[in-house]
Amino acid sequence: MVLEVLEPGLLSTIQDGGRDAAHLGVPGGGMCDRTVREIVAWLLDTDDPVAVEMTLLGATFAVRESCVVGVVGADLGGEVVEEGRPVPPGTTALLHAGTTLRFGAARDGARAYVSLAGGIDVPEVLGSRSTCLAGGFGGFHGRPLRAGDILRPATAQRLDLAGRKWPGLASGGLPEPGVTPIRVALGPHVSDVGADALDGLLGTDWTVDPRSDRMGLRLDGPPMPGGARRELLSLPMVAGAVQLPPGGAPIVLLADHQTVGGYPVPLVVSSVDIPRLAQLRPGDRLRFDGVTIDEAFRLGMAELWASKDVEDLFERSLAKGTA
Amino acid sequence: MADRVRVEPYGDAAVLVTLGDTIDLDVNRRVHAIAQYLDAMDEGLKDFTWGSSVPAYASLLIPFDRWEVSAHEAAQYFQELIDELDIGREAEALSRTVEIAVRYGGEDGSDLLDVSERTGLTPSQVSEAHASVDYACFFLGFAPGFGYLGVLPAELELPRRGEPRTRVPAGSVAIAGRQTAVYPSATPGGWHLIGRTEAVLWDVQREPPALLAPGDRVRFVADRR
Repeated sequence: MVLEVLEPGLLSTIQDGGRDAAHLGVPGGGMCDRTVREIVAWLLDTDDPVAVEMTLLGATFAVRESCVVGVVGADLGGEVVEEGRPVPPGTTALLHAGTTLRFGAARDGARAYVSLAGGIDVPEVLGSRSTCLAGGFGGFHGRPLRAGDILRPATAQRLDLAGRKWPGLASGGLPEPGVTPIRVALGPHVSDVGADALDGLLGTDWTVDPRSDRMGLRLDGPPMPGGARRELLSLPMVAGAVQLPPGGAPIVLLADHQTVGGYPVPLVVSSVDIPRLAQLRPGDRLRFDGVTIDEAFRLGMAELWASKDVEDLFERSLAKGTA
Repeated sequence: MADRVRVEPYGDAAVLVTLGDTIDLDVNRRVHAIAQYLDAMDEGLKDFTWGSSVPAYASLLIPFDRWEVSAHEAAQYFQELIDELDIGREAEALSRTVEIAVRYGGEDGSDLLDVSERTGLTPSQVSEAHASVDYACFFLGFAPGFGYLGVLPAELELPRRGEPRTRVPAGSVAIAGRQTAVYPSATPGGWHLIGRTEAVLWDVQREPPALLAPGDRVRFVADRR
């Protein structure tokens, strides 16, 4: 045994890149803030990052065997209690047997991630180790972590990975103070919700409702017309879809969203801003800024060129003979 | 030629393919034919990378690599690809029959009396009508293993409940609109509960995990034990 959960925090689940089984009704899942994947991969020298995703209030672990952990995402004030040693996001740390790793309340974003050098030993189910809360499978026995659960690395310990520091931000999704701008393109039902609803969506500073979860961010704002002007047939949903239920309070879909839905989708968040949604806390505010689909594409390209995946893109282009 | 298939951007990382706006078996079979074609396409023949398609009643979603192509270019590509496909216009025979035993009413179907009142049928007429027809499984969605079954007899058609339940018990047999379904696991739900089954709709240890598959014929049988 390596790490034993003493207190699980608000919601701590094991997540990786998610699974591809939406045609069976299975949510994609995976880390809500996908920008942390490459950071976990770099910090812990792995091609296949997996981590415990902690939400708003972090977990406390007893260190049963010395190990190296990597911490990324929001700052939950991680520290080694007995040593008074902080373990800030974007770093790895050697933990000594007999100590306690404790995370507290979120200081900036909503979600923090902790992983072991050597990964976390849980089985792959339907192609992923992510916890599927809706189906009760994957991750750690298909459920959030509880006190007494024990996490072990999947491969040999890598104590040589201690003391690493990611050169950039510990997440690409951390919100700035004030109203977070979220860029949206028009969705498939923009003409079904009416101009008043669209004006309301784009002209309002929305507040994140406490009932938000991994399925979606529920937004509070002034009353506005909701629903569609015709009966919609259930259709497939995407992460980032802004649903407008009849009550008029929008829901923005996140990683564990239902695969299909019947509410109109007048707007879709550009992929580069979905991690920001994952890092907003209840009470935080956001506004929707309209962009075109082509601008959303260019935002993605800009993000790509700024990241370490440039080499990968170049190789793919070479393989296709387009570079 | 029926209405042209419409392909449009669905955000910057997926396209939505729409074939119609009704619950129609012929349309749905074409949705699945397109999905199967795109899922099985050889990587070498693709202009860019895309993932498994997600079919629904009359539409399907295709996620693609947004770092390779814009949604407009992807939509145009899929539009041309699908327009050239020779998809049969007739529904193929349903592949197999799945029987599901249901205990109607009582604690198992806590909305049966309400449904009876609102439809003007007696509770036993409601359950008999529900079990009187063969349903087709149109697609899986909403929750793991949840099959959208249709078409429900017109005399049972009701809008969803005004206030969804926060927790519907696993195995609940429910109706809404011209649809019926079995909830595979305990989830929130807004459909009317008329009965319950012991059948296991989803078991991740089983291969395949879902009891139902698109194209199945499904028959509900009253369990009077």
